[in-house]
Amino acid sequence: MRQEILSIDDAKRKISEGRKLLLAGDEDALRQLPKGDWLAGTIPYFISHERGGLVARDLIFATDVTDIVTSVAITQYDQNSLARVYAEGPKHGFSFIVIPASSQTHLSFALNGPNYKSFGVRPLIGWIAGVHLDDLGKRTPKVFNGITGDVVEDGALVLQAELPPSKLAEIGIINLFEQGDGDILTFSEDGFSAKYVMVNGEKTEFAPYLKKLKLDTKLPLVADYYGVMVNISFQGVDDTDGTVKFYAPVFSGIRYKHAKPVTDYVKSFGECLSKECDVDTDKVVFSCNCILNYLYSELENKKTEPFVGPVTFGEIAYQLLNQTLVYLEVKDM
Amino acid sequence: MDVPSKTHKGWQDVVTGKKTFQLKFLAAKILLGRLTRSVKDNPTPDNVKASIDQLHDIFAQNVHIPSVQDDLKTIFG
Repeated sequence: MRQEILSIDDAKRKISEGRKLLLAGDEDALRQLPKGDWLAGTIPYFISHERGGLVARDLIFATDVTDIVTSVAITQYDQNSLARVYAEGPKHGFSFIVIPASSQTHLSFALNGPNYKSFGVRPLIGWIAGVHLDDLGKRTPKVFNGITGDVVEDGALVLQAELPPSKLAEIGIINLFEQGDGDILTFSEDGFSAKYVMVNGEKTEFAPYLKKLKLDTKLPLVADYYGVMVNISFQGVDDTDGTVKFYAPVFSGIRYKHAKPVTDYVKSFGECLSKECDVDTDKVVFSCNCILNYLYSELENKKTEPFVGPVTFGEIAYQLLNQTLVYLEVKDM
Repeated sequence: MDVPSKTHKGWQDVVTGKKTFQLKFLAAKILLGRLTRSVKDNPTPDNVKASIDQLHDIFAQNVHIPSVQDDLKTIFG
């Protein structure tokens, strides 16, 4: 099994055996691990094969890539150097990135990633590290470089994995949200917040608009990127100035619509897998899902087979995504 | 499989939105979501050329992937 929940002792054993690991866990758990070929981000929420969704501070979610890669290297970027992340990706492999939530690097990647040089020319997948929700405002998300022992609060760690010539990496997403039938919403500038929105072309105060239409902010804004539905999740409304805040930036020129409701995430997920999604589940190496899907769809103790993984503060499939499952497949050429 | 040269009219048709296709390769779709909007807002020759350069690059560097080969067939026949 490539993706599994481990005790801290089992994680230590795998590291000592020289396994190449992508890890997720609570900060206190990760700090107990020895140096080795691993990269990690903080988060204590997971979806497992055995128990479905769970929260645990004393467990570690491990993705073992030892048997599929020929080599790995870990590179640390800051908010400026991260602009090279696509261009510096392995020529035959994939890059796996973890960034601490709310760090300057996170915000910069979210806003600027689509404009980085050579966007998308090589596979980039990963996630945004977070904390236990009880720790919000008390502890900061972090990423760990197992090779050096460095713990990073503001920066991105990228594991660059080379694959054998006979293999190729491909990234996919599963997003159950679709555009609803409502207004077309556009924004005059890129950003994580907006006081005004253009509603079918007419400038409107966004917060009163949401209130007037009683729009459920658990449902994201959805943009159609050439057939790919890309979500922007609502973080909340700042009552002091009426600004609407998002977990990912809206972009000017992109047309958004409020999403259709998804009444039963697990049922819809199963239907998507069986009817619409072209996934070779045996080839899935890594996957992760969003904490908002975990919370809003009450995924604790529920399974999203065959997908497991950390439950994250943001998902990365080439660019930052929200309320979306992302996955990496490694296939035969 | 060869990737058609940047001068092939098919690239221009895609980035200008003159023709739309159902594509498979995720990176190309995300990129096109932005490029087609950019070209629509700013249809200058320089912006069209820059968009074609980006799109061509993403296909050329991933031409070994079956979904990319399928997309090339979809666009160029």
